[in-house]
Amino acid sequence: MSQTRTIVIECLRFHPETDEAPYYQSYEVPFTEEMSVLEGLQYIKDHLDGTLTFRWSCRMAICGSCGCMVNDEPVLSCQTFLRDYHPARIRVEPLAHFPILRDLAIDQTDFLAKLESVHPYLIPSTGDDPGDQPRHQTPDQVQDYLGYAQCINCLLCYAACPQYGLNDAFTGPAALALLHRYNADSRDAGKDQRMEVINAEEGVWGCTLVGECSEVCPKHVDPARAINQNKIASTQDYFLRFLKPRGRR
Amino acid sequence: MKPRSHEPIFWSLFGGGGMLAALVGPILVLIIGLLVPIGLGFGPEAMNYEQMRGLLGHPMMGFGLAILIALFFFHAAHRILHTLHDLGVHASERLKLICYGSAAGGSALAVLVALVLVLRG
Amino acid sequence: MNQPRTYTRGMQRWWLRRPSYRFYLLREGTSVVIALYGLFLLAGMAALAVGPGAFETWRGLLFSPLSWLLHLVVLAAFTFHAWTWFKVLPLTVPPVKTRRFPRGFTDATLNRVALWAWGVVSLVILVAAMRGLQ
Repeated sequence: MSQTRTIVIECLRFHPETDEAPYYQSYEVPFTEEMSVLEGLQYIKDHLDGTLTFRWSCRMAICGSCGCMVNDEPVLSCQTFLRDYHPARIRVEPLAHFPILRDLAIDQTDFLAKLESVHPYLIPSTGDDPGDQPRHQTPDQVQDYLGYAQCINCLLCYAACPQYGLNDAFTGPAALALLHRYNADSRDAGKDQRMEVINAEEGVWGCTLVGECSEVCPKHVDPARAINQNKIASTQDYFLRFLKPRGRR
Repeated sequence: MKPRSHEPIFWSLFGGGGMLAALVGPILVLIIGLLVPIGLGFGPEAMNYEQMRGLLGHPMMGFGLAILIALFFFHAAHRILHTLHDLGVHASERLKLICYGSAAGGSALAVLVALVLVLRG
Repeated sequence: MNQPRTYTRGMQRWWLRRPSYRFYLLREGTSVVIALYGLFLLAGMAALAVGPGAFETWRGLLFSPLSWLLHLVVLAAFTFHAWTWFKVLPLTVPPVKTRRFPRGFTDATLNRVALWAWGVVSLVILVAAMRGLQ
């Protein structure tokens, strides 16, 4: 049964050409049992206020576009339901720790640069060309990276990470999890190139294991695990480099 | 090329101290600070001067305790430094020097005291 | 094209935003107690090296009621530290290693193993102390 009720959605608003600073605006939104926060926002845009700006695409938790803060929790608005908050009002804000472009839309430029810095693609070793043959992997080898390959770049983990908020030089959870995803792949031979990113102060050492990145991840990627395993890897690399032959340090 | 962080040194010391503080910390506090003073399971003369001299005069116990204390210090220095950053205090070179410097100083003192105790038997 | 003006909100009192942030700060805060306890033990060691008089002063402090109450707080801090430490410990174990363990060996298993080890070590120290320090 689809009974219509009303909930107050309080949105953070910011239009750079007119607003000095962000402010809150409340809307009364009629909703049914199955309506998500995203659909609530769409109702506002279609019926109450066409100037409200927010990103969305797939409506089914796979594109990673509709991330926002709902009552200070980073969520995908498409899989967060209004019924779970009613009769209280909800507060919707752009993802924390990012510059606000316009209303709920944030500027992802910084993340995209970081994503690029981790070489997020398979780097095969030279002379290891399988030609037109497939590259075989055992189920265990697939398991080593499959979890980390689920990342949809929704940036909820960055919005949950106070270390990124305090210092945006930190490479951050998703980029480091994706770095680990390629390092953990048996077909990859690019570890050496990525080690520099891991070893830097802004690499795994920017993390203090708050652990919230893994808590909020809608795809259960577990960036906290990826980062902390690479603290071990970086520590080994730090001390064992003295045992490696010259030129390989 | 991004410079390599020297954090592995301090993180290892932090990890060692954290592990020891977790494994043996609570029971040491329970015995020394709570059970011995009220004599629960221990006699009224437990931890007297002669007994402790004998115990810590043994190299294993004397230096073991010194290393435990030293790792407690490095564990704490690491966390305090990062928590100050969390609270808005910038982790400047000076602050790092103060945190890890006092940990190193305290550790040196602990080893020195242990050396005295062990040498005197 | 001109970059549009953006607005960045600060991190003022960020720990108020989520309970888990306060839990995290509390966890990190146990390190202050650990440092102070290290100092207390160091003082005892130093007093022992100085002589019987100095050590009796330290021991007198230890046997005071205030010390006993403070040690309750210290024990709580150490126990909270240990609990949280063993909780996150599995995150640092590489899967290459866990893969060799039997199926169903999860973080929870590893956490339980660590807690058991903690219990056994504590018991061994307690028994040794009760037999050795009478």
